Amino acid sequence: MSMSAEIGTDCRLIDTELDLALIARAQSGETSPLSTQAREHIRNCARCRQLYAWLFEPTPSAESSPEVYRRVQQQLKSSLTPVAPQAAPRVLAAQFLVVFLLFASPAIALMGTAGLREMSALQLLGIGSVLFCGAALLSWSLAWQMTPGSLHRVPARVAVVTLSAGFLAGIAILFPWHAPEAFLLRGWKCLKTGILMAFPAALLFWLLVRRGYAMASGMLGGTLGTIAGLLGVSVLQLTCDRQDAAHLMVWHGGVLLVSTCLGIAVGRVINRVGRNAG
Amino acid sequence: MFGSTALFRCHDGRRAEMTQEAGSIVPQSDRAAWENELPGLMVRYQQGDPIAVEELMRRLSGMLMRFFSGSCNSKSDAEDLFQECWIRIHRARHTYRPTEPVLPWLFGIGRHTKVDGYRRRRRRESRELLVAELPEPPIRLQHEPGSESEKFDRLMESLPDSQREVILMLKVSGMSLEEVARATSSTVGAIKQKAHRAYEKLRLVLERESS
Repeated sequence: MSMSAEIGTDCRLIDTELDLALIARAQSGETSPLSTQAREHIRNCARCRQLYAWLFEPTPSAESSPEVYRRVQQQLKSSLTPVAPQAAPRVLAAQFLVVFLLFASPAIALMGTAGLREMSALQLLGIGSVLFCGAALLSWSLAWQMTPGSLHRVPARVAVVTLSAGFLAGIAILFPWHAPEAFLLRGWKCLKTGILMAFPAALLFWLLVRRGYAMASGMLGGTLGTIAGLLGVSVLQLTCDRQDAAHLMVWHGGVLLVSTCLGIAVGRVINRVGRNAG
Repeated sequence: MFGSTALFRCHDGRRAEMTQEAGSIVPQSDRAAWENELPGLMVRYQQGDPIAVEELMRRLSGMLMRFFSGSCNSKSDAEDLFQECWIRIHRARHTYRPTEPVLPWLFGIGRHTKVDGYRRRRRRESRELLVAELPEPPIRLQHEPGSESEKFDRLMESLPDSQREVILMLKVSGMSLEEVARATSSTVGAIKQKAHRAYEKLRLVLERESS
């Protein structure tokens, strides 16, 4: 068994040829001709010959019962109304970004710009870039997640982790480490303000998201929570006068962490409720 | 290997002619044209054309049913998923964009339906109680011994869920690796890796079967 269970290196080379053949079939309906080496290998290797033949032979059909089919068809036709197609993912991403900016601007105007005055040009540019890029990345991710069949160029998990890592790295590099002064008291105030701001923002983003089709509610909830938390962090960054690394990492970063976790939890609960209801 | 004309009967009783091998789900030889017509039908579906609904169901139901059958123990489970999937497709029809391919969009929703169905079934099973008398067993997906369908299901059963899903999409729908990545919200690299692992396993199973 051990000998026969081994797959030779040449067999693995065929895998790449199979990929190309599948791509060609998807594009033109015809399999691409194999390379001479692959043809030679297939001629000599029974395993690859069988796999190739099986992969490209027509799939046997499977049918539902005619009653089920008719019932479904009637259901669809009875509620058939014209619908407008959803906007392209890039338009949806732009909408999320606009909401982000429209929500953050009045909040900053209300809470003052003490943080802006405390930061140097380099700090402002550095952390501003991280926050803006994070908001753009999450906006794209949300747009992809609400559109079935769209190519996720950056997986949602990667987007959330990249943003969090970028934020922490930016803070650690750009901001000074001071001895903590009223660390808990002032920090708690920032955390509370950030989370309170994230709640309505999340609601607003959710109103946009629900126009699409949510596939993985847990991940979508997490992304929603992260972008809402990021909004809270961005406002705090410009309005908080405590611009030292420990405070920013723990309390401002805490907003991001709490809102992401809450988003995932809410997403999962909604998914479970929806599934049970279905 | 591909393309002989066959007549087959639609669910609604009409007879349709299509260039395809008997028993196949997708017309292999005319595949590009077949697929190019799908976006137009989807647009008409979005506009509320009932003929487009009929045509889309006729063209895509076999594929979806095969996709669900590959991971369900009984025909009734597969039909439940099939029905639920079409209802979800109906509710989400506005999310389809005419410039995008139809199959990744369709199978994205199909996959989501399947995952939800699996979780629901698992939860239901975990709550099941012992009863004095066994209820009637569900009608299992039965095929003639040695038939193509039986062989197909047996091969699919030999694969883990994630690899089975990829192979089902590649083989049943004839999507490319990128389209499967779109349908599964994954990357092309990840799909390629799963496909290659599945090929390894399939080689061994096919060899065992032939010997």
